[in-house]
Amino acid sequence: MSKSARYIRNVKVSERHGAGEWTAERASSLVLVPLALWGLWSAWSLSGGGYAGALDWFRSPVNAVLLAITLVISIWHMNMGLKVIVDDYIHKPSSRTGLLVFIGALCLVLAFAGVFFIVRLALGSAPLPAGLGA
Amino acid sequence: MSSSPLPGDASNDPTTDQTGRFVRQPNGRVRPLSPHLQVWRFHVTMWGSILNRFAAGALSVGSLFVFGWLAAAGMGPDAYAAYAGVMSSPLGLLIWFGITLAAAYHLTAGIRHLIWDAGHGLTPKAAGMWTWVSFLAALVIAVGFWIALFASGRIVL
Repeated sequence: MSKSARYIRNVKVSERHGAGEWTAERASSLVLVPLALWGLWSAWSLSGGGYAGALDWFRSPVNAVLLAITLVISIWHMNMGLKVIVDDYIHKPSSRTGLLVFIGALCLVLAFAGVFFIVRLALGSAPLPAGLGA
Repeated sequence: MSSSPLPGDASNDPTTDQTGRFVRQPNGRVRPLSPHLQVWRFHVTMWGSILNRFAAGALSVGSLFVFGWLAAAGMGPDAYAAYAGVMSSPLGLLIWFGITLAAAYHLTAGIRHLIWDAGHGLTPKAAGMWTWVSFLAALVIAVGFWIALFASGRIVL
């Protein structure tokens, strides 16, 4: 199992996937900083605008693309954060695995359904469920 | 002055320490024994950490409300009006204020952690200062945003 340990500047390199997770958490945080500020600005633009205002907002490709990016990266970041919380507090292996699979599946559904809604709104498709079969 | 520390004297040198605060780890290295939770003296970074995880959990629930808005928009004007109607009730506005506050604090605490991860602000004094800055900045962002929402008439109670 154990390979020979690797060192970078006298710091031991993670033997498994810990360092990759650490980097992914920081990278997603870094990207989400400007996206969160943009999200606050978007919430301001959308507030009080009603359905017509929302449709106008979604017709802008910049808004649609940024919202899809924000959604996917947020859900990825959320999945990593929830995994850390579950790892910290749930000690029974079967419960932990079950909960992580449930959270992962929920995140996948939210991401795919969210992007699906955004694409439809950006293209000006008919409201669901009318256009679902079309 | 005696050159060796008195019994019970806390030394930070594992070779001379007589308090038993240092233990040999399974990997063979001598490391300070981690104090139990109950003997930590309070430091503001503790609240900073607890609240950041709490905000993360709150945002996970809050993401469902954001998703609900997206779904309502996708399902047409009636669904959108119904969702907006529920969410503009006092309870709904409270939920969205909570989401704003959690997002603002998770943002400022996240920036604080990125500063720490870059190796800056890690002395106890600087760490406490950055934690207070993240609290105040989050409050200013969230409360300021909602004052502006009401003041501009975009949201009415």
